[in-house]
Amino acid sequence: MQRIVIAAPLVLLGLVFTSLALNYAEPQSLRPLAESYVKLVPQELGAPNVITGILLTFRAFDTLGEVAVLFMVAASVGLVLGPAGSRSGVPPAEGREKPRPASDIVRSATQILVPLISIFAAYIIMNGHISAGGGFQGGAVIASGVLLLLLAHPEQRLDLQFLSITESLAGVLFVLVGVAGLFVAGGFLDNRVLPLGQFGAFFSAGAIPLLSVLLGIKVGCELSVILDRFRP
Amino acid sequence: MAELIGSILVLLGAVFHFSAGLGMLRMPDAYTRMQAGTKASTLGNALVLIGLACYHPGWTLKLLVLIYFVFMTNPVSSHALARAAHAIRIPMVQKADIDALRDAREQARGSA
Repeated sequence: MQRIVIAAPLVLLGLVFTSLALNYAEPQSLRPLAESYVKLVPQELGAPNVITGILLTFRAFDTLGEVAVLFMVAASVGLVLGPAGSRSGVPPAEGREKPRPASDIVRSATQILVPLISIFAAYIIMNGHISAGGGFQGGAVIASGVLLLLLAHPEQRLDLQFLSITESLAGVLFVLVGVAGLFVAGGFLDNRVLPLGQFGAFFSAGAIPLLSVLLGIKVGCELSVILDRFRP
Repeated sequence: MAELIGSILVLLGAVFHFSAGLGMLRMPDAYTRMQAGTKASTLGNALVLIGLACYHPGWTLKLLVLIYFVFMTNPVSSHALARAAHAIRIPMVQKADIDALRDAREQARGSA
């Protein structure tokens, strides 16, 4: 009986997905909205990567909101987990006070990997307007490097003050670039406050690389703060 | 010809990935599962990426960097996980009565 109850929905789901897969036809042309994006981003914003052009100019206000959501997550994780080391009501257990040191393998691997990860993060952030990448992804890669450092040196404390100041500064600069767009270019967070440059070059696409860097710094700091909160 | 070799390498890699998945399901305790998962998937990953390099010779350098990265990170992460499991005393399967890490710790404590 139980097996039938499990198997019946599976078969039904399988039928639904089979019909979807059988009826799928590759669309021959883009929808009007997508077509205008694909045409406008390289033409007017000077960015070969259409997605980044949309994320950091046409929908940059959305992106700003997403970063704000991430900030709220960091703040509420801090609220729930409390400041590190002073969990209320629970006395520190015996032998829990000193964190177990990481093994030699982890520590030496960290020395090799953290520079690699940092270079990769910088590459992702700075290539957002040319190829795949962008500030959010790069910030997450930065945070993974920080996580590796925390694992290798559990007794070290992160400088939360520095992180929060850097993060706020990046956020303020992001908004300032957006406000500059109001006066110099076509509107809030317009990327044409800086010269567009040569199409496909490293420094091109107006303010998009700058916004990517600020976004990467902000996301990296926020995720690092979240990681630090989860330590015992 | 290069495409044939590349396809065979990717297929071999997929076989190793499959065995990794099978090992995760069938192995009896955390340590053996970790070993199956990392060892087979490291080799499988390298084979798939080398197969891709046969298809696109222009990507070879990037793929080699990727393989290097996987070879660095996969064993280290499984080592850290296994050590953490050992530290919080996750039991081993009954048949395995060799625990080199515990023996080494006891020896170090005895000589100190």
